[in-house]
Amino acid sequence: MKKQVAVGSALAVIALVVYIMAKGFGTDPHAVPFLLSGKPAPAFTIKRLDNDQLVSLADFKGKPIVINFWATWCGPCQTEHPVLDWAAKKYANDAVFLGIVFEDNEQNTKRFLARNGWSFVQLFDPKSTVAVDYGVSGVPETYFIDRHGIINHKVAAPFVDPREFAAHMETILK
Amino acid sequence: MNSTLGYGLVLAGLLCAVFAAVVGIATGLSRREGALPWVQRAMYGFAGAMVLSNLVMVKALLEHDFSVKYVSQVGSRATPTEYTIVSLWSSLEGSILFWGAIMGLYLFAFTWIYRREHGRYMLLTLGTMAAVAVFFSFLIAGPANPWPAIPNPPADGPGPNPLLQNHPLMIIHPPMLYLGYVGMTVPFGIAAGALLRGELGDAWLVPLRKWTLVPWMFLSIGIILGGWWAYAVLGWGGYWAWDPVENASFMPWLTATAFMHSTMVLERKKSLKLWTIALALGSFVLTIIGTFMTRSGVFNSVHSFTQSDIGPTFLIFIALVLVFSVALLAVRGHLLVAESHLGSIVSREGSILLNNLVFAALTFVVLLGTVYPLATEAFFAKKITVGEPYFNQMALPLGLGMLFLMGVGPVLPWGAPSKELLQQQLVVPTGSGVVTAGTCFAAGYRGFMPLLAFGLAAFATVVTVRELFLPAKQRMDEQKEALFTALFRSASRARRRFGGYVVHLAIIAAIVGIAASSAYKTHATGTLRPGETMTVGDWKVRFDGLATGKEPHREYVAANISLTGPSGVEIHRHESLAPRMNFYERSNDPIGSPSVSAMFLRDVYVSLLNFDSKAGTASFNAWVFPLVGWIWYVTIPLLVLGSVIALWPQRRQRPAEASAPAPAVAQGSP
Amino acid sequence: MTWLALSLVASLTLGQEGYAPQRPVTDPLDAAREARVQRLGKHLRCAVCQGVSIADSPASMARAQLDKVRELVAQGKTDDEIYDYFVERYGEWALMEPRKSGVTLGLWVFPVLLLAIGLYVIWAQSKKGPAPAQQASGEPKAEPKTDDYLAKVRADLEK
Repeated sequence: MKKQVAVGSALAVIALVVYIMAKGFGTDPHAVPFLLSGKPAPAFTIKRLDNDQLVSLADFKGKPIVINFWATWCGPCQTEHPVLDWAAKKYANDAVFLGIVFEDNEQNTKRFLARNGWSFVQLFDPKSTVAVDYGVSGVPETYFIDRHGIINHKVAAPFVDPREFAAHMETILK
Repeated sequence: MNSTLGYGLVLAGLLCAVFAAVVGIATGLSRREGALPWVQRAMYGFAGAMVLSNLVMVKALLEHDFSVKYVSQVGSRATPTEYTIVSLWSSLEGSILFWGAIMGLYLFAFTWIYRREHGRYMLLTLGTMAAVAVFFSFLIAGPANPWPAIPNPPADGPGPNPLLQNHPLMIIHPPMLYLGYVGMTVPFGIAAGALLRGELGDAWLVPLRKWTLVPWMFLSIGIILGGWWAYAVLGWGGYWAWDPVENASFMPWLTATAFMHSTMVLERKKSLKLWTIALALGSFVLTIIGTFMTRSGVFNSVHSFTQSDIGPTFLIFIALVLVFSVALLAVRGHLLVAESHLGSIVSREGSILLNNLVFAALTFVVLLGTVYPLATEAFFAKKITVGEPYFNQMALPLGLGMLFLMGVGPVLPWGAPSKELLQQQLVVPTGSGVVTAGTCFAAGYRGFMPLLAFGLAAFATVVTVRELFLPAKQRMDEQKEALFTALFRSASRARRRFGGYVVHLAIIAAIVGIAASSAYKTHATGTLRPGETMTVGDWKVRFDGLATGKEPHREYVAANISLTGPSGVEIHRHESLAPRMNFYERSNDPIGSPSVSAMFLRDVYVSLLNFDSKAGTASFNAWVFPLVGWIWYVTIPLLVLGSVIALWPQRRQRPAEASAPAPAVAQGSP
Repeated sequence: MTWLALSLVASLTLGQEGYAPQRPVTDPLDAAREARVQRLGKHLRCAVCQGVSIADSPASMARAQLDKVRELVAQGKTDDEIYDYFVERYGEWALMEPRKSGVTLGLWVFPVLLLAIGLYVIWAQSKKGPAPAQQASGEPKAEPKTDDYLAKVRADLEK
């Protein structure tokens, strides 16, 4: 009887451990949780890359905002460039598009923008303070903020498909 | 060509392993011993095929044969030759292929050494080991195949992971770790074979112990080298971060250590049988779980290989081995009943019991902490982190407990000790412990835990050294032998005991190094212009300016520095000795390599955080770590020495007094 | 000095795109507050690394997070308020050691439980008293130390 209990509980522990590890297959161990969805977007005041004027989040009150965190040295950021360009033009009247460059220097970014062009306002975050405030965990990341200044969600991956981007836009346009 | 040949050899190895496993287990269970020579040949065949397949891979790597998939993933014409060979195990598929070669070597050695053993002992043991070999050769042949041919081979490849070609330690650390991991297959085979056969006399015990000690030694070296590598390469000044992969190597080490202590009780008292054999089986299971952690992509780790689909295969294997082990213990449990009770806690056997409890608790803590984040996510969808602060907090009291037992255990005799004798024997060690802690306090060192650690370390050292020298002293008194002769003879009479105590000294050195370097490190950070100086502890670090250079596989920026210690002597750390940033083609982030000035009592460790090539400034992180080098420079040689003494084969007959001593042991005796 | 010439080479080869550029390091606070920053940093997980704390990680983003800790320390925030800042963004994931509440309590309770059970088992074992088998082994008790050693020698030689 004692033995059955021992063997039974050993098998139960094995089943538990195997189950826990098997559940791990479905998840990405590198995924970083993000809890700011549904919370007000943190305020910031940083300068524009093109004319050095200071820009605050509060300047765009009442409008949906898309913020894209990126850097010039990041390959995927360059890949998603056309999608963001397309979106910034398409939603020019409905939402504000902001790019925030972090973990980079001004000179690199200006050179990059001069060469590639960028159709929406680009801001510079010299010490990554805004990125830290926004809970950024990689690059590129795109934040969708509704017209009340509440973060709806963020996408922590580069965009490849314009239709995919449009679906995300829907969440803050309505 | 290479591709076909290499894959063919893998398939041949798989066939041999399947044959040995099926025939070995089937004939072993039905007790027909005649098949043994065939099983042995199949084992040799497996070993040969695996080793050859690895050699073909090395050849393909050296030839830059990019038509082989693995070579096209890790090879590069710019990589220096030594790192090209190392890239055999620098990525997932290659590391499993290499695993196969090591398994082949172990199985060959075991089969060969015991080739004259009777089949009743060997068939099931070899069969079980071959079954494990089947799993790994199946992995190499299927899910983790490095050999597929690429129709249009590229002209050049990306080269191995930059982190892995940053330091020569990476050349020896993984093979040591693999020798430790893979070697646990052998004690598993011995234990499972004995259980399957249902013969649990003492015959299996000696080989089981020795074949656990071999992988244990390699695992110890591998773990320490891994820490040393992290320390010398990663630049954050640490050597152990309780990362899942580090934990994975630590757990089987803990259970194997516990095993080697509990066998003593088993031999002496004929009790703890079930527990001891469970530890032997468990150590193997933990090596497989460790491999799973490293390679499944389920755990988040600095060291883990890239995502792969071998995880589920591995998990099924883990489940099978676990269920098999539990079933074996359940079916044969009646053979594992203790033949005697254990007496008082204050005795040798009592101290070993407590030692096993502490090791089991620490293993449990490490496993729990590593798996807990997965569990909370699976059951509560809650992502948590269990990191260094938790493990340190839990391991500290357990580690001090181990140190205490390491000191007390050897003093205690088996059975019931007499109080007076004990008190008499404990006076000197306890006194030394108190004096050591007091001296450290007087010298200005504060903190209860580190001082306790130093006191206990002194206590344990005095006990251990006395145990090492006492038999020799007796010989000197009684037989008028010279110290060295007496020491050697007494050691060779009881190699296991002598070797064990030498290993104890190695572990004490490591614990002292860990305690001192974590409790009394000094840290400074700052940005310097050329010629400027910053102070860390009683050392001055002067920045001598930036230098850049190019090596075949990387470019670098070195921040030349000069160090001045209390003695006033200036040490230059320029170019290859300077803290540097290395730039590899394959990596976006530069990889720093710190400058480590190693001295016996301290290391001065400077890493380059950042440089500004226009202004010519550089920012540094600088530390002084007391005694940190002991963890590798003192521990590794002592540990190897002790293990080799314990493993050194005993002569069959009582040796004649005049017989020549075995040279390696003679020279190595302290 | 040669470093000037060399640094020009560096800016040409390394200043291009493809590498994260170097970012200046923030000056540390005074010794006492900086020690607090480093201690807090050890307990906070770097957002862009693999399970390393922000005090240990060489990543630039980790230093940005450590700068945030410096800023909050300089503002006179308590430890809990500083932890909360990161927990608000990343959840309890951001803490290198989980808070001792709810499910995570198991991390401390289970090991203590295991130790307690183990100690009880060993204690119960010792209550059974010295075993007859051991007295029958016939070792003289006069000098257990050397006898132990001699017995071991004998045992080893028999192998």
